[in-house]
Amino acid sequence: MILARAPMRISFVGGGTDLPDFYRRSPGRVISTAINQFVSIVVHRTPYVDKISARYSLSETVDRPHDLEHPIIRAALLDLGINKGIEIASFGSLSAKMGLGSSSSFSVALLKGLHAFQGKKLDRAEVAEAACRLEIDLLNQPIGKQDQYAAAFGGFNIFQFNPDGTVDVEPILLDYQKRSALEKHILLFFTGLTRSAAAVLSEQRSNIDAKFGTLQKMAESVYEFKEQLLKGNWPVLGAMLHEGWQQKRSLASTISNSVIDQLYLKGMEAGAWGGKVLGAGGGGCVMFLADPERQEYIKQAVSVVARDNHLEDFRHISVKFVQSGAEVLFNGDGHFNSHLI
Amino acid sequence: MEEYIQKFSNKVIAAIENLPKREISKALNILQAVYERDGRIYVFGNGGSLALATHWVSDFNKTVFSHHLSKTVRRFQAIRLPTTEEELTAWANDVGFEMVFAGPLQNYLQDSDVVIAISSSGQSPNVIKAVELAKKNKIPIIGLSGFDGGKLNTLADAKIFVSTEKGEYEIVEGVHAVILHMLTKYFQDYFDHLE
Repeated sequence: MILARAPMRISFVGGGTDLPDFYRRSPGRVISTAINQFVSIVVHRTPYVDKISARYSLSETVDRPHDLEHPIIRAALLDLGINKGIEIASFGSLSAKMGLGSSSSFSVALLKGLHAFQGKKLDRAEVAEAACRLEIDLLNQPIGKQDQYAAAFGGFNIFQFNPDGTVDVEPILLDYQKRSALEKHILLFFTGLTRSAAAVLSEQRSNIDAKFGTLQKMAESVYEFKEQLLKGNWPVLGAMLHEGWQQKRSLASTISNSVIDQLYLKGMEAGAWGGKVLGAGGGGCVMFLADPERQEYIKQAVSVVARDNHLEDFRHISVKFVQSGAEVLFNGDGHFNSHLI
Repeated sequence: MEEYIQKFSNKVIAAIENLPKREISKALNILQAVYERDGRIYVFGNGGSLALATHWVSDFNKTVFSHHLSKTVRRFQAIRLPTTEEELTAWANDVGFEMVFAGPLQNYLQDSDVVIAISSSGQSPNVIKAVELAKKNKIPIIGLSGFDGGKLNTLADAKIFVSTEKGEYEIVEGVHAVILHMLTKYFQDYFDHLE
């Protein structure tokens, strides 16, 4: 049995510049951190059962990978040539489509696990690229590369998406005091609205020409964000998030909607320095940067808006950053597969 | 006499002033991640470097948590390789001295682990052998080297290289000890801060 996992992420600025229609023409950049919410995958060998089982929100048992409903697992098995004798189960500490990149965390953890199943080990860059290939090239999803890299590398990073398709990873080396101070200033809410990133990103993609200058500014702003982060200048960081969110809202009509706007406005009125919607937009999470002293007040104010809009699944999510990226936590097949000297 | 002491001190000061801060930060992140996933840390080196490894293992497993020995359930799992003199001599005598770290490492190594290799020259064949085993298994490597860094500095993910003249073991090992204590102190402060 193999247990692999990959973290979810929150991104601060630059989201959207990781789409190929943009970065093929001008380098894209995103600054993000992995958080203490994970997607875990268990891969189990069944040498005497010539089936394929996949257990997620559904449970499937089929004779050939081709017959699987789950598109990511199906594509991964077909690509790796795994035809039978395997059970795969997934577990998430938060549900999907919350804007925390969990779909790519799933792909990254799955590929880490399936490669281990085949006796192959992938480093962080290899598993990030493998997940991008799976989701973007094989499954034709209109998504970018930031989530796969965030899930694979873990920690706090600037990812730069180069026109030639390569990705540079610059770790932001924050000590525990800075990390914990930032955690204390972040206020994260799940809106209760879920959306598929693909729909929003398709519109955003078709607007890239018109919004090229805005995207370039967004990609450029990660450096300023990093500088202010290293100084611990929270109000300025809040203002930068706010500006980034205003820019991002303008990229596609579906990125925001009236409920999200109400939640955001209320949080700002209640004293947040700034914030943004996490993920491709249209739902997911709203994040604020705010003085810890004001946070209880903001929480209450935003909760009222959620109640008025009947957002039953609305909730506050406490966030801690993690250094962990994609990892195999347990490999019971390890003694067969370990690479000898 | 005092002049001799001053000259020696100046070399140490120069090495301390040029500490590879970014690489040490990367090492701290690697250790943070291995703690989060409850993996193990294997430490090894020859002669004085082996003494540093043993000293650090004790500090990291116990001193880091000294203020919370009754509270913190999950601790670091640092292990000095080889763990017994019997393994050291058995591998050296039966197989060859270049296997004294890689041999025992093979017994333990799992995907969630990391290694810390200490070699002033960065060229010790037995250290490099174990580092190559870790590399093959995509295990993060923290490498403490001196002189010109050697092969170890090329292979390491966190390249803690103390640049000195060739053969200045006393400077390199002294500064390595300072760096290892810094790793300990950082995590001691971190766990104090969490309380």
